[in-house]
Parts: sequence; structure tokens; C-alpha cells
Amino acid sequence: MEKEIGKICAEGFSFFGMTNRLISHELKNILAIISETLGLIDELMELSETGMELEPGKLRSLSESVIEEVERANSIIRNMNTFAHSVDEFIREVDISQTVTLMTEFSQLDSALKNTKLRLMDCGSCVIYTSPFFLEKLIYHVIDFSLRGAGHEKEIRVSFDSDDNGIRIIFSGIASNIIGEFPTKKEDLLAKVLSAKVSLDTTAGELTIALPKRIGESFIQNLLPED
Amino acid sequence: MKILLVDDEEKFVSRLAERLELRGFEAHWATTCDGALYKAKTEYYDLAVLDVKMPRLSGIDLKKMLEKINPDMKFIFITGHGSEEDYDMGTREGSFYIIKPFKIETLVEKIEQTLNL
Repeated sequence: MEKEIGKICAEGFSFFGMTNRLISHELKNILAIISETLGLIDELMELSETGMELEPGKLRSLSESVIEEVERANSIIRNMNTFAHSVDEFIREVDISQTVTLMTEFSQLDSALKNTKLRLMDCGSCVIYTSPFFLEKLIYHVIDFSLRGAGHEKEIRVSFDSDDNGIRIIFSGIASNIIGEFPTKKEDLLAKVLSAKVSLDTTAGELTIALPKRIGESFIQNLLPED
Repeated sequence: MKILLVDDEEKFVSRLAERLELRGFEAHWATTCDGALYKAKTEYYDLAVLDVKMPRLSGIDLKKMLEKINPDMKFIFITGHGSEEDYDMGTREGSFYIIKPFKIETLVEKIEQTLNL
């Protein structure tokens, strides 16, 4: 038990580190765009003082793109804030749509690097009682594996459905000849924590996370802070 | 002097090219590795400024392919990552490694040093 708690805590720290790296990379890209755009505006203004004609349309387009980048940064920071709050309570009610959306947005850089689209299907709303942080981590692992093993369409579709027993998050568009073992020990441990089951169906090209509506007895309850 | 800029962020790379043009360089840009390879096959570039992390191919892999097309081409790497690992790789593979966001003067200085201007 202690060994498992140690492992899951280490996994948690590493997940926080990884998401921080992803976010800082994205923010640096945005800052670079803003910096180049404002630099260009400044230089065009300087040139206009020496007699070069200034095109209002171009200036407007440049300033609008700064606003767009600020909005993009704001959205990333909002996600970062939501993610940071996922460790406030280790177990609580979790909106699956919001959690899946958050993890697909975190994975956009990875999706672009792997030249594979990550599409979230509209499945409405569904709430379960579980660990938000470890669910996020498990979803992230599954997305990562799915992106590495995408089929020829180069698109992973993420959807979910629910019944009285629980919910299923489905990742489809995976190649039938996918290489590599999945779930590995890491995902098995996360699934154990969440009372979940992760299964890969190569014939259907689908990976599924099945979760109960309410998490069962889990050793992460020992991680809950004492009042 | 002709420079090829490659970065998957179009707004960034197009504006950087425009600012380099204002400083007297002939700067062309591409947002994909395929686009960069096509340009390198059709025009001679003295130097390429490459983003380290790009879809499909990394900047390091792209450098190797560009070198096959033009063995004289010089390289500068740029990245949003500031990890030691990236820094070591960038400095090993290129003459300079610059972390985004940067001042244009920094890039111009590195370009001039690389091309002995």
C-alpha cells in the first residue's frame, strides 16, 4: 500500500511538472507573437514619421491579432487555474465534459506535433464522484497513446456515454495495427485508484475508460488532508 | 543575404520576416517542414532560423534534411522551451540557440555573427 501511495504521488508530481512545461511553452509562443507584432507596429510608426505611408488596414489587423493572442493566453491560463484546483479535494463531483475538454485542450500541442486532430464530440453533461486529478492524468495518458497510434484518418475522436452503472469515455480512430502495450502498469495503477477499467479494442480502433458513478474504496483516500 | 525562417506559428514567423526585411535582409518563411524543404530546393539560403519543436519533424531533423540540399547553409535555433536538454541540443546542432520571446536585435546580432557580417 505504501509503495503504491509513493508511486501515485510521484506520478502526480511529474504530471504537474509536465503540464507546467506545456503551458509555459504555449505562453512563450504567444508572448513571442505579441512581441513581434508590437515590434512591427512600432517600426511601421517610426517609418511613417520619415514619410512612409501608413496603411490603417494593416495596423488594425496587427492590433486585432494582439487582442486574439491575449484571449488565447487567457484561455490557457484559465485552464491552468482549473487544473490547479483539481487537487483542492482528492475526491469530489466531477463534470466529465469539462474534464475531457480540459485534457484535450492540454493535448493540443502534442496533437499538432503528431499531425493528428483531436476532436471532442458533443455528448452533453455527466457528473460522477471521483478523483478529478487522477482522472485527468489517466485521460491524458490515453490521449497520448491514442495520438501516437492514430489510424490513417489522423483524427482521434473523444466521446462519452453513461448508464446506471457508470460512464465510458471512448477514444476512437486508433489504428488496428497499433504498436505497444496498453494499458501499461502506470495506467493500471491509475485505473485502480479510480476503480476504473481501461481497455483497448484494436478491431474497433477504440480505447475505453469505464468509470463507476461513484469511486469505490481507494487508497488515495489516505491522501486526503487531515482537518 | 537570404534567410529562411521556419516556425509553425504563422503570425510569429511572418512578422519576424517583415522586421528582418526592414533591416535589409531578404527573409522568406515557412510554417511546415515540407514548405521549408520546398523553398530550400528552389532557392539558395545563406541561413535558416528553425523552431526546435514543429509538427511532423523536429527542427533538428529538418536541419539535417536542409543540409543535404545545401551543405553551406548555417543555422540558428529558436524555441519556447528553455530546458537544458534543448539548449545542449540546440548549441550542438546550430551556431546559436535563442529562447522565445527575444528582442529582434538579439537575433540580428546572432545572424551577423553566424554569417560573419
